[in-house]
Amino acid sequence: MEIEVRNVSKEFVSPKKYPGLKGAVKGLFSNEKVRKMAVEDISFSIEQGEIVGYIGSNGAGKSTTIKMLTGILEPTRGECLVHGINPSKERKKNAQNIGVVFGQRTQLWWDLPLSESFTILKEIYNVSDDEYKAQMKFLNQVLELEEFFTRPVRNLSLGQRMRADLGAALLHNPKVLYLDEPTIGLDLVVKDNIRKAIREINEKYRTTVVLTTHDIEDIEELCSRIIIIDDGRKIYDGSLAELKEKYGVTRKVTMEVKNIKEALQVDLSSLLKVPKEAYQITAEMGTNSVEIAFDKHCLGISEVIAQYMQHTEVRDIQIQETELSEIVKVIYRHGMEQENKQEEGMVS
Amino acid sequence: MKNRRWGVYVPFALNELKRNLAYKGSFYLFILCSCFGAFISYYLWMAIYGSSETGILGGLTRNEMILYVFMTYVTGNLVNVEIVGYMENDVREGAVVMNLIKPIDYRLSLISKALGCVGYRFLAPSIFVWIGLEIYKAAVMGMNVISIGNALLYLVSTLFSVLIYQLFDFCFGLMAFVTTYMFGLKMAKNALISFLTGQLIPISFFPEIFQRIFDFLPFSSMLYTPVMIYLGKYTGEALAVVLLRQVIWIVVLYGLGTFLWQRITKRLIVLGG
Repeated sequence: MEIEVRNVSKEFVSPKKYPGLKGAVKGLFSNEKVRKMAVEDISFSIEQGEIVGYIGSNGAGKSTTIKMLTGILEPTRGECLVHGINPSKERKKNAQNIGVVFGQRTQLWWDLPLSESFTILKEIYNVSDDEYKAQMKFLNQVLELEEFFTRPVRNLSLGQRMRADLGAALLHNPKVLYLDEPTIGLDLVVKDNIRKAIREINEKYRTTVVLTTHDIEDIEELCSRIIIIDDGRKIYDGSLAELKEKYGVTRKVTMEVKNIKEALQVDLSSLLKVPKEAYQITAEMGTNSVEIAFDKHCLGISEVIAQYMQHTEVRDIQIQETELSEIVKVIYRHGMEQENKQEEGMVS
Repeated sequence: MKNRRWGVYVPFALNELKRNLAYKGSFYLFILCSCFGAFISYYLWMAIYGSSETGILGGLTRNEMILYVFMTYVTGNLVNVEIVGYMENDVREGAVVMNLIKPIDYRLSLISKALGCVGYRFLAPSIFVWIGLEIYKAAVMGMNVISIGNALLYLVSTLFSVLIYQLFDFCFGLMAFVTTYMFGLKMAKNALISFLTGQLIPISFFPEIFQRIFDFLPFSSMLYTPVMIYLGKYTGEALAVVLLRQVIWIVVLYGLGTFLWQRITKRLIVLGG
């Protein structure tokens, strides 16, 4: 087991703030503290070589978890083990095994040429000359660092900097790689390159990757497994396919037809003998298209299309699966609703 | 293994040196400004000596005072490398996180950085001001140029001073982790330091009782000690005592820094992100 998180909680205590000038003065004398559970009783384990997407809305506790796994923060309760090391107890030893990219920050030396940063990192992580050469060759291949290797970091574009940062995190060939929003603010081409690089590294070295992101495409292209947390609690842990199976039950078929009136007369409920609630039809007159959204457990996609093909002339068909982003939205909303219910329950 | 552990921090020093070289303009301005300060205090003291009757103030002759003013400048230039500045930046930009994910000791990396800066300042302008001062001493004042032994003692003591200042500054800078805003505190610290270290007025000008108190504080070891060693005011046993006092402060402040760091990292929250 590469990463093991057992019943970890993290509580932040900060002085209570009051609004306004009066509040500011009051704050000087009050000793009240606000406690906030950033992470509450989270457990999971990750095998070597897995790429795990760690997702949640802003402030859900993703970064806090990552920081505990890197040893920057100490859990209030519970324990983490990364490659058999407790990161908060042996931060430096753990640091040798991990690579970290925080998308919003850089670990490179801002004023120096990129090459210098790599030289320093080579020293810091005690990478031998041969290893360094081999790794640089590989990194140049996947990240194309060469073109800006001698330029000062402050002159790099965001995309170049991110590639450089990823390279810097990988120089010592870490066993575990944490990526905190690695594609934030990048254009599509660069995003794609970064993803490709992550995949190649994972394949070549069986590096375990933990990835937090708001970009659903990152998840879809990289992760075989996802963990969703909301408000500090784990609400889902499983494969991407399973998640789609469980929440992504609606399918959408959009058909462009020759005669829209004829198409609208097709009555699926009587033809296929299903209740009317199982599907939903919306028509758009302008483009002559009909959109049918249906529960994939009640209706088969081929049946639906076949019925339309029989009864009207269809010019074009598009099949859409529910996007992960929508599933995630549903899950978040679900979580919130539950909370509201609980609160109402407490009031009454 | 031991060897490598120190080797890790060498690049930090070298890079700070290179970084300083990269911003030449700002550095020449810095030299100019601080030189200005030295000349202001030079003229101030000359006026004071001019109006005094005895010619010896606080145990220093007029010539010694000139040396004191400029050697304070040379030494202060080396010593006053503010680690707090690095720390404050790191805290505000959240760069502490980036330091903590590496297998290095944060404090040692800061001190190495500071030593890089010290190295640069030694080359420009400290060593040249010093050489200039020696020439002035021989040509104008008719005094002997400093002996090699004394120069070495001065350098050793200055190195101790640098370490004391930085270890102290680290403890002070940890406040940045709690307050996240240090401007006012830094101003207060600088005012206090320039007074207590003897940068403004030689400590020998203070009444006996204050001098005794200053002996118990780390500040006189930060600047006053090496300058007085340079002036040859300490010999024999007194010299051993002041050097030992510097070493003791290094140990004490190192221990204090370790203790505070352990306490503070437990409650790190204000890192942003």
